[in-house]
Amino acid sequence: MIDKFRAKFVEESMDNLHDLEEALFLLEKDMENKELIERIFRAMHSLKGGGAMFGFNHLSDFTHHLETIFDWVRNNKLKVSTDLITLTFSAIDQINFLLKSGDLTKEEDLSNQKAFIHRIQSFLNVSNAAVAAAPLTSPADLPAEASDENTYLISFIPQKELLQNGTNPLYLLDDIHALGKATSIAYTHKVPSLELLDPSSNYCIWQIIVSTAESLNEIKDVFIFVEDECELHIDLIAGSAIVDQPDVKTLINKALTSNILLTTEDFKKEQWLQAGQTTVHEEKKKVAIKEHKIASMRVSSHKIDELVTLVSELVTIQAQLSLYAENNEDPTIVALTENIQKLSRQLRENAFDISLIPLQSELMRFQRLVRDLSKDQNKDIDFIIEGGDLELDKNIIENLTDPLLHILRNSIDHGIELPNERIAAGKAPKGTILFKAFHSGANVIIEISDDGKGIDPEVIQQKAIQKGLIEADAQLDKKEILDLLFVSGFSTRDVVSDVSGRGVGMDVVRRKIANIRGEVSIESEKGKGTLITIRLPLTLSIIDGLLVAVGSNQYVIPISAIDKIYALDPAQIKQTFNSVVVINAEQYPYIDLRKVFNEVEKESDEVVQMIMVKAEDKITGVIVDNVIGEYQTVVKPLGKYLKKQEIISGASIMGDGTIAMVIDTSRLLHNRKHKR
Amino acid sequence: MEAHDITLLSFQIQEDTFAVDALQVDHILEVPTLITEVPNTPGFMKGVINLHGNIIPVVDMRIILDKENITNGADTSIIVLNPSEQQDARLGVLVDMVKEVIETKREYLKETVLEGKKGMIDAFEGTLVLNDEFIHVIDIKYLTEVVVK
Repeated sequence: MIDKFRAKFVEESMDNLHDLEEALFLLEKDMENKELIERIFRAMHSLKGGGAMFGFNHLSDFTHHLETIFDWVRNNKLKVSTDLITLTFSAIDQINFLLKSGDLTKEEDLSNQKAFIHRIQSFLNVSNAAVAAAPLTSPADLPAEASDENTYLISFIPQKELLQNGTNPLYLLDDIHALGKATSIAYTHKVPSLELLDPSSNYCIWQIIVSTAESLNEIKDVFIFVEDECELHIDLIAGSAIVDQPDVKTLINKALTSNILLTTEDFKKEQWLQAGQTTVHEEKKKVAIKEHKIASMRVSSHKIDELVTLVSELVTIQAQLSLYAENNEDPTIVALTENIQKLSRQLRENAFDISLIPLQSELMRFQRLVRDLSKDQNKDIDFIIEGGDLELDKNIIENLTDPLLHILRNSIDHGIELPNERIAAGKAPKGTILFKAFHSGANVIIEISDDGKGIDPEVIQQKAIQKGLIEADAQLDKKEILDLLFVSGFSTRDVVSDVSGRGVGMDVVRRKIANIRGEVSIESEKGKGTLITIRLPLTLSIIDGLLVAVGSNQYVIPISAIDKIYALDPAQIKQTFNSVVVINAEQYPYIDLRKVFNEVEKESDEVVQMIMVKAEDKITGVIVDNVIGEYQTVVKPLGKYLKKQEIISGASIMGDGTIAMVIDTSRLLHNRKHKR
Repeated sequence: MEAHDITLLSFQIQEDTFAVDALQVDHILEVPTLITEVPNTPGFMKGVINLHGNIIPVVDMRIILDKENITNGADTSIIVLNPSEQQDARLGVLVDMVKEVIETKREYLKETVLEGKKGMIDAFEGTLVLNDEFIHVIDIKYLTEVVVK
């Protein structure tokens, strides 16, 4: 049971961490923003509290130190600096590590942790010295002043549901009492008679008068976990400790008998507030109105996968039903089938919509990478993101992260120059990397462009010749040369750098993107920059496909890859010697799928069906025996034993239960090119 | 049941008897009318079948064991293996006849005597002698590795 809670805590903490990172990025741009500092502090506070509760003691301890820093920042004892932000960023990594590994046991990790805490503490010591030397602008919040006690009136009006979240309000009262001298007043007049009482609801209201040396923030922190579930007013009523004064006691007694809540007005009459001291009125409006609706909820991705699988099954079965209805001309069944077809289409669209997540969720990592790397390499880079709210299939995003990180690394490592190099080249010292995502038909396009030094085609060509990838006298145009970057075993840097040279090159990028049925292309202008374009399908598991027959088998070609279909005279093909077909005075290369699949060659004078397939900006003809029709199909994986079967990316179960294999067109065309 | 007890599913391939760990057997099927061939695959890979909406590759154990004169009869079956701790690794295996489930102990297994390599498999978990019959236990993990290659 506790494991379940722990897992939940880790999951929520990951969100907290994400929020923290986001706030930190914003803070870096606006270091004075109080709201952001508050947000960061809160995220840390939750991590600390939760960590201690679920047995992440090291995490709790670690966050405590970090929280102290931001408490100081919050109270103007410390100024936000780039150093502080850098420290916090690396602290986030540590927290992440602690969340994943739980409490540390390895000697090495423990000493790392210690060193880190030491770093944080030394940060505090340095700043402490600075504060001592020159007090900052608002002395009101300094501890020196805090010996003067203030008295606050806290009105804590919880909603009925307070108890349902496991909050014990008495603990909150205890916490307040721990801050200083306090008297609590409990109003119970709203408690209904026993038969109407719902034991899981809260009916009480509390008011607490507390005299404390702590700041207002400390009091607010007590209520940090319940602030959304209550109405909370904290008012400064006196500049001294007045809890024990007889007048106050009288007021409390009056309130208890009359069931009328105390207000600041009651205390004003008593003149405790000194001249010049205005009432500090701190009100936290409750966020939730009575009809509080949950706008979004958290569902495990496993459940969504299951839903999508079930819907896919339904689509398959529905196709079977349609087939049956067609063959049995019973009007009732035909009508029913049509309805089911409509419903299952809606259901399918809905289910797939659910499984989409915004790209934004991954972008944080990219921002972080750009920031860290550019700091490491003393480069000044502006990272602009457009279209971050675009939604993609979860599985696509998961597979996209690595290639994107690699492309970004390349841009920073090899693309953007150092500031002085940039000035010498007549550019602004600050480089720009633009990340742009947008829809284009049934595809999603992601463009990553930089204004760095670009790629020199000469260098690429020389390198390719040197590596024996092309002949020394090969005549290649610029596009073909840039394409060489994607050939396996090609890397333009001789020295393996820490950043991009981990033996993973653009070939891996292309392969990974091909795995999610995407394409990647590169354009570059020497001295001006590089543009990398990634074209992706919207979803992985259902495609619109053209069903074709080759030999005894049926195959599906994704419609998105098809340009046109021609019925050609066999003579038109037989006459060519170089596998080129002429259509409308244009020459196109072609592939006979019978040859690719090692089927017996067809000898007949029938019309040849040629499907023009486009991949990587080229159009190639593909000869099939027969075009059967257009189908919407669920693509299923072939499993690990057939992974090596590159041309076939999956299989699809047809309405009658037979299997058709899905052709990966870009792989088909690619393989052929390299065989030559 | 003690930890060293094992449950085996034995099957016949021509005159020899083999067995696999029964706990990793998912289904036993009749040979369907159509096994969809996958082009450009080795000879032992017969193709893929549709098992309740999932695609399962099927290999012919008789080809893997280098047998000749392979015939399919009424008893020919597909044993669908679901190797534990492996993802998307379900595999159908064509055999001449499925025989029985045997409960035995691991220590009764004797080392399999191999005279050279028999087909593509050259390692067995062991051989069980039962009623004067030799039952060679195939290591499923090893089998899947052979098929992936």
